[in-house]
Amino acid sequence: MVSELPWDARTGTLKREMAGGMMNPACKHAMEAALQLKHIHGAHITALTMGPPMAEEVLREAVAMGADRGILLTDKRLAGADTLITSYTLARAIEAVCPHFDLVLCGCSAADSETAQVGPQLAEELGVPGVAYVEQLSIQQGAVVRMQRVADDFLETLEMKLPGLVTLTTSKYAPRYVPLSGVQDAFESGEILTLDADGLGLDPNVVGLKGSPTQILDVFSPTTGKKNIVLKGAPKKIVEQLLEKFDDRIGGAAGKDLKVDEQG
Amino acid sequence: MNFNPCMKHKLVRKTVRRFAEAELGPIAHDIDRDARFPWEVIEKMRPLNFFGLQVPKEYGGADVDSISYAITIEELSRVCAGIGLCVTVHNSVGAYPIVKFGTGEQKERFLPSLACGERIGAFCLTEANAGSDAGGVETSAVRDGVDYVINGTKIFVTNGGVCGSAIIFAITDPENTRNAASVFIVEKGTPGFTVGEIEDLCGMRANPVSSLFFEDCRVPASNLLGRAGDGLRVGLAALDTGRIGIAAQALGIAQGAYDAALKYAKERHQFRKPIASFQTIQNYLADMATEIDAARLLLYRACAFKDAGQPFGSEAAMAKLYCSSVANRVTSLAVQVLGGYGYSREYDVERYFRDAKVTEIYEGTSEVQRMVIARNLLAQLT
Repeated sequence: MVSELPWDARTGTLKREMAGGMMNPACKHAMEAALQLKHIHGAHITALTMGPPMAEEVLREAVAMGADRGILLTDKRLAGADTLITSYTLARAIEAVCPHFDLVLCGCSAADSETAQVGPQLAEELGVPGVAYVEQLSIQQGAVVRMQRVADDFLETLEMKLPGLVTLTTSKYAPRYVPLSGVQDAFESGEILTLDADGLGLDPNVVGLKGSPTQILDVFSPTTGKKNIVLKGAPKKIVEQLLEKFDDRIGGAAGKDLKVDEQG
Repeated sequence: MNFNPCMKHKLVRKTVRRFAEAELGPIAHDIDRDARFPWEVIEKMRPLNFFGLQVPKEYGGADVDSISYAITIEELSRVCAGIGLCVTVHNSVGAYPIVKFGTGEQKERFLPSLACGERIGAFCLTEANAGSDAGGVETSAVRDGVDYVINGTKIFVTNGGVCGSAIIFAITDPENTRNAASVFIVEKGTPGFTVGEIEDLCGMRANPVSSLFFEDCRVPASNLLGRAGDGLRVGLAALDTGRIGIAAQALGIAQGAYDAALKYAKERHQFRKPIASFQTIQNYLADMATEIDAARLLLYRACAFKDAGQPFGSEAAMAKLYCSSVANRVTSLAVQVLGGYGYSREYDVERYFRDAKVTEIYEGTSEVQRMVIARNLLAQLT
């Protein structure tokens, strides 16, 4: 959880270097989904990430799993981007390196900040349809992807024309184990392309922290405080105190606003 | 000199740790208690190259560097030392001698099935009257036409109960004091080759350690590894590599015990505080972490020397001596940190404590390691 990590109060960004890096779990499931689709239909898989130079490890892992190549967007000027600018930057990179893509797969949310915003925003930036929180997907005749997801306790089945974007949950597509020869090969012969803001032709003023319209003001863990409170006095006083102090909670539990009821 | 683990080694560690924690973690306790070899996990390990770690790719191996090899054994042993043992012995002394000394024909014949784990390897030097003293081997191999006929008994053979092939030491020329021994590859199913009962040991109980019997066991001369009389050279080279593996195993055991102790120290409350807040426990944790780190650096240095093609026998002996001694100190301290729970069979630390001891005994006792180190020191010109 993000609130358990150290964060920089000045920039409102995570101090990610304080924690060991890893491939985001939902993205790993998305990677597995891509590999299974490739196995059935054939495909060329490009793994794309933005981050500090050490994020290369995640791309090597993707290549070890079976991706055909990895693209790393790394540049101090790209750092500190909010979800909107992250989506913007990723979209420009996809247009540059995979202009004819069929399907973009993303993890539904990051295990650290859990905003779940980048995937859907990325679909907007790319101008393609997008579906979030998908559990399972298959490619149908005529470049259509059929998907299942759980929404409000219903199992939804959706179809979408390609090109499009899908974000995946961690409920299906358990990532495969990587053979050690795959790890070895990913480092010996794996193709990793590194791009910076100039390589993408991006104006440094519209990317990174500088270009980000949103800022995080505070990060905290919600606490569930349980306190025993003894109300004293005559029964009438106790009931009055009870309603006065806790009317919002009682109302919430009863499903109506006690104050409105009183006045009405 | 760069002391940061490179990206590849970090990924190797993550990859093996994920497998070990998910597949061996849930059963490690039970297979130790039941002395059961978990074939179902071995099956899953086969396609992941655990059995062809340093076998060339042309024979189906992963051909990893020695630090990746050590990390793999460390991470398996951190969760289940008995299976870490199976994998390191198979790779370092079951398969690697064939990689290093085998003829093209022998490599073709044995490496593919070893590398994919279809055949598990073993190495047999120890006998009732020979262990530290390799010269005391009594098993004989007598040339008879195109064959050798082997007679003798090998004891305490790691993987003995499950091996598909064994590399064995036998005397081919009893008159020759320097070059008496030779090394043979013997396949399971060869008439006259039988497996004894599984030993009831203090630790490493998931590994089927057994005796192997050779009774007029006839193998073709093409199973001779290296030349006749080369036994000591082939055997000692195998053991140098084997020591890297056992050092890594000891280090993994120490790491597992330390991780358990650290977690427990943060959770366990006494005097209304976590015991990790007491200086005594902090001192234990600091000592454990420092020794583990020192052991790891010593081991990786031996690995780096090996991969650079430099002599590494003395470095491997130092790493094996130190890692095994650290494993014993750290597991003992971990039991101390967990107190009564540390001594209970319900907790893993007791298993680590039992598993650690043998790392000071097999693949050359600590006394033999000191002998090897001292011999190298004294041979140097001053």
